[in-house]
Amino acid sequence: MREVVLVLAFAGAALLGYKLISEVPSLLHTPLMSGMNALSGITVVGAITTTGLAVATGSKLAGFLAVVLAMINVVGGFLVTDRMLRMFKSERGRSS
Amino acid sequence: MLSPYVLIQLVCIALFIYGIRLMNSPKTAVRGNLLGAVGMAGAIITTMLEAKVLSAGLVWAGILVGTALGTWLALAVKMIQMPQMVALFNGFGGAASFLVAALTALEGGLNTFTLFTSGLAIVVGGITFSGSVVAAAKLHGVMHQRPVHLKGHNNYLYVSGLIMVLSTLGLTFQVGAPAVHIALLIVFSHVFGYVFTIRVGGADMPITISLLNSFSGVAGSVAGFALPNGALLVVVGSIVGASGLILTQIMCRAMNRSLMDILLGKTTVLPGKGEPKPDPTPAPAPEPEPAQPAGPSWQEALRDAEKVAIIPGYGMALAQAQLQVKQLGELLESQGKEVRYGIHPVAGRMPGHMNVLLAEVDVPYEQLCELDEINAFLEEADLAVIVGANDVVNPAAMELEGTPIYGMPIIRADKARCVLVCNYDTKPGYAGVDNSLYQMEQVHLLLGDAKDSLAQLLEAAKGEAAEVIPLPEKETPGQDPVALLEAAQRVVIVPGYGMALAQAQGQVKDLVELLQSRGKRVEIAVHPVAGRMPGHMNVLMAEVDIPYELLLEMEQINDQFQDVDVAVVVGANDVINPAANTHEGTPIYGMPVLNVAEARRVIIYNLDRSPGYAGVENTLYDMEHCIFVPGDAAVTLQALLQALRLAS
Repeated sequence: MREVVLVLAFAGAALLGYKLISEVPSLLHTPLMSGMNALSGITVVGAITTTGLAVATGSKLAGFLAVVLAMINVVGGFLVTDRMLRMFKSERGRSS
Repeated sequence: MLSPYVLIQLVCIALFIYGIRLMNSPKTAVRGNLLGAVGMAGAIITTMLEAKVLSAGLVWAGILVGTALGTWLALAVKMIQMPQMVALFNGFGGAASFLVAALTALEGGLNTFTLFTSGLAIVVGGITFSGSVVAAAKLHGVMHQRPVHLKGHNNYLYVSGLIMVLSTLGLTFQVGAPAVHIALLIVFSHVFGYVFTIRVGGADMPITISLLNSFSGVAGSVAGFALPNGALLVVVGSIVGASGLILTQIMCRAMNRSLMDILLGKTTVLPGKGEPKPDPTPAPAPEPEPAQPAGPSWQEALRDAEKVAIIPGYGMALAQAQLQVKQLGELLESQGKEVRYGIHPVAGRMPGHMNVLLAEVDVPYEQLCELDEINAFLEEADLAVIVGANDVVNPAAMELEGTPIYGMPIIRADKARCVLVCNYDTKPGYAGVDNSLYQMEQVHLLLGDAKDSLAQLLEAAKGEAAEVIPLPEKETPGQDPVALLEAAQRVVIVPGYGMALAQAQGQVKDLVELLQSRGKRVEIAVHPVAGRMPGHMNVLMAEVDIPYELLLEMEQINDQFQDVDVAVVVGANDVINPAANTHEGTPIYGMPVLNVAEARRVIIYNLDRSPGYAGVENTLYDMEHCIFVPGDAAVTLQALLQALRLAS
């Protein structure tokens, strides 16, 4: 049951994502990619759980590494996307 | 079922989706990104509460270290480095996913489904990680951008692929020690990703990192199947996967490449053309140094233009000329011109790369046009300024079947009434196809560092320094081809096989049209044996669209040469040698020749003064009314054309 729900969620999200992202203008494709980097950091959720449960030193270390990497994506991804998006200025908003 | 945690997860997903929805306009995109960040923060905090790991110092340490590194990277990265940054983040996403999946699988107590998905997640994550690291290294210049082909390249892929399949099955059905399978999966997924990516050339990176972007999402999603609280991972990873897939498709279409070709390493259709620098192609004729690439009137064209399209490419990024581009755009706008930037989807090294670089220097996004928009604009544009773009404006994509770029949609810079090319040189771009745009008559080449070229443009646009380009030195009156041609009423051009060798037909045609536009009578005299076959010259002239009415046979023109003000000889020798009439005993004596010597003035554009096939010295060369211009006809004529245009 759980498997079926997950597979359906996977397919539904893929379709919805496909539709939404098709509407992103190519103007914003680079920030879109870095934004997706940030979202792929969602793995941090899994990393936190597994690390919290880890007992062996090796597992702890691997978990710690996973949290670090995923957090780099989350924080770095959102920040750099924000930095980029703020550079896209409108004609009206142009200073000078 | 609907515990608070699940509810919050749903809210987070809604935030992500709405955030992506807001990405469809630059006006709302910043907010969309923030919503995504809020959703992510919510997901992390609730997960820590739910998993009761608030007291786990290790988790906190990981979050802190990751946050610090991520902040540093995001603030330190330069916009030109975004491709390698994204590639690296793709890799981190993949690595985090395969680590989580490996840990989950090691925990034990899983059912077949979760074991299978965790094995799959290790595979996808490992490939993503090593592939992305290679891609990032190539983009960053740490590794050579040229495709690397190992001996038996595919065998590495087959073997590592087979091992991964077997280990995944072994893990799933619990045959053998799980730890061994997991180790094998990790090792060989990395081998696979590495071998896979090293044979992708630098030019195909937009496609590769789009694909790896997709993989990084899929890795997270598949890992989510194996986790107890994995629904978030499944959904969000799936969205990321879809996004990368769309971008991959767009890039493939824009570059006219099939995904399979790129993955199979058919990245370079022409051998050795992955890199522009080592240029082993036999240069087609001596590099047509289009003399001092300054059109006669590009300064005027720039000043008079009302609609200007600026087309940036990766060369702009390399020259770091974004600021100059923006200054030019603003200056032209302040003069009341309409300025648009044409952004080809694959200009640069990743989707939207040019947009980011221009946004960084505050170019308003309304002026950044996609392919269709800019092509509509170019139909009516007075001027197109190309800054470091090559393949994406190469009309060969429409004409030269069989070339790697044939069929690729391009920006139609050739449609503009005047084109200024501010590229570093005239070498072909990554695709290795000579840019036929460079040969067109409305095109002016301003070669060299784009910053310098743009500085020239800026000055010209300001109306200062009209004399940026030194005028060619005037020779003594009567010895200057330009002055002669300017004064002439009737001009006859005499082509020979040398023109064909120099491939100077285009220049001849340009010369015809230029002189005609100045109200002169221009004809082309064709000797029956000029060239290598009957009618050879006529075919060559017809090929460049010279109307056949202008092509005169020897009988038609020979009696009229005394009325001709200037005869221009291009690569013809024996067939115009007056020795045929005078020098008894030579092999050409008695052969009918074109009476070019009777024209008032003769200008000869031949490679050198050595005799033609007949081996007889050409007595015409030493006659008083004759000017001899040695050198490759394509080059010398180009210089003549430019001098003529400039002299107007």
